[in-house]
Amino acid sequence: MQLAASQAEASAVPEGTDLIEWYYEKGFADGLPVVPPTPAKVAAMLEALGGEPARIEARVPPRWGGLTREVLAVNMVMAGCKPEYAPVVRAAMLALCETAFNLNGVQATTHMAAPLLVVNGPIARKIGMNAGCNAFGSGNRANATIGRAIRLVLLNVGGGWPGELDKSTLGHPGKYTYAVAENEALGLLAPYHVEKGFKAEDSTVFVMAAEPPHSVTNHVANDPQGILDSIVSAMSTFAHNNAVSSGHCAVVLGPEHAATISKAGWKRHDVKQYLWTNAHNTFGQVAFNHRYGKVYNRSLPVWYGRELDSRIPVVPSAEHIHLFVIGGGAGRFSAFIPGWGHMSSPVLREIEGNAGPMQGGPRCVDGTCYL
Amino acid sequence: MTQVYDPRGAVGAQSRAIAARIPALEGLRLGILDNTKWNANKLLRELRDQLKAAHPLADVHYYRKESFSKFAAPELIEEIRRDNDIVVTAIGD
Amino acid sequence: MHDGFSLESLGVPTAVIVTTEFLHEARVQRAALGMQGLVPVVIQHPLSSLSDEEIRGRAAQALAQVVGVLRGTQPDPS
Repeated sequence: MQLAASQAEASAVPEGTDLIEWYYEKGFADGLPVVPPTPAKVAAMLEALGGEPARIEARVPPRWGGLTREVLAVNMVMAGCKPEYAPVVRAAMLALCETAFNLNGVQATTHMAAPLLVVNGPIARKIGMNAGCNAFGSGNRANATIGRAIRLVLLNVGGGWPGELDKSTLGHPGKYTYAVAENEALGLLAPYHVEKGFKAEDSTVFVMAAEPPHSVTNHVANDPQGILDSIVSAMSTFAHNNAVSSGHCAVVLGPEHAATISKAGWKRHDVKQYLWTNAHNTFGQVAFNHRYGKVYNRSLPVWYGRELDSRIPVVPSAEHIHLFVIGGGAGRFSAFIPGWGHMSSPVLREIEGNAGPMQGGPRCVDGTCYL
Repeated sequence: MTQVYDPRGAVGAQSRAIAARIPALEGLRLGILDNTKWNANKLLRELRDQLKAAHPLADVHYYRKESFSKFAAPELIEEIRRDNDIVVTAIGD
Repeated sequence: MHDGFSLESLGVPTAVIVTTEFLHEARVQRAALGMQGLVPVVIQHPLSSLSDEEIRGRAAQALAQVVGVLRGTQPDPS
């Protein structure tokens, strides 16, 4: 087997070379200046990854470049990461390279989808991630550089360069960085990973191919229904990709909204069910009323009605809605984050440990998780 | 000198040969693999009809992928391999 | 390209149809898979927004290429 392209090996340039410009000129940057890796920085990052520089963590599509620990370390240093972020970035890359996520498709698509990373568990606070005010940007080093490291790997190792293998018509700002933590400290709803069967003290990464967040404003309602009706409104459009391509989506409750909902005794399940039950389009809308020929739309489940006035859900089930509490304490805002479609499944993965939830299922008294 | 790094990682390029070519389509079983992208089905049905008109094929089978963006399931690939001599697939767009 | 690669690896000659917009990606994919001999059939982009009449035209454009790829007489598109 011959190795076609270069590896993250030492090569050298004359002393005094402008390294920021050098990495730009080589085409290794994401548009923003990178932090030039030095032997000391790469070594520290590699140590945080557990050594073994040549060990391949994953092959990243569509180029199928080998993401060795050294290559991962180099990209993380370039992004501006601290070594303590290493477990999160690695877990995120492993999650993205799981078959179900279909990273090959996400990288190449003409849709603007970008991987969204949500971190749960103690590691988020330990490394200083922002789950509060301005969690989606900007100002926080951990959020910004973890998301950026992922993007640099997708570009450099995965070959997902715009215009080349990444055909996204528009792109979106999340393709610079799109990483947050859930605001578990507020304790308003159970954390996402606990809903899915992990222990609260486990730390996890969740990745989903995502459009940008769509802000949902509601400064009037003081009950769950009113707040959720506004989110339903944001979901009930035939413009986002879920409407025409099915699949998964995310909903983010801002803390003020989450507090109102939690105070009324509603749980995660109630929120997801209310949203799913009420968010809808008509089939006629997604079929453009057959104006361009009779449309069936094989991307939508066969059980959706195909009459023009058939009321169809925005995603196939409440479990296709991934719910998080994120944000600062002031402001009655939430967000709807559409996904790419049925072509990609989100992945939830433990950091530094098993790939799935703990044995024996979630910790619920009667075996059903009503969180 | 100052050290610089290549962040791309190696691509392992093992070389794989394509299958043996066929001298003619006559008497062969044709498989059509539709990846379900928009209009792939219409294109493939048209092409199938044009191929049938031009060549006496033994049989034609039509398959649809579960998702246009994922690789075809190994079971589907095996079924196609078993029941066909040649395949046409669409669409990469 | 990946499905074409799988089938060719199992001994089944496969004509993979791509549009002109996808040709570069098809080339990179086959290089990454190590199957340089996988010649794609190329039709004019787009396909998704065409009328039935136009689709018929694309099929006609593909026909000779398909036969050529399966028989080994189709040159690699430039």
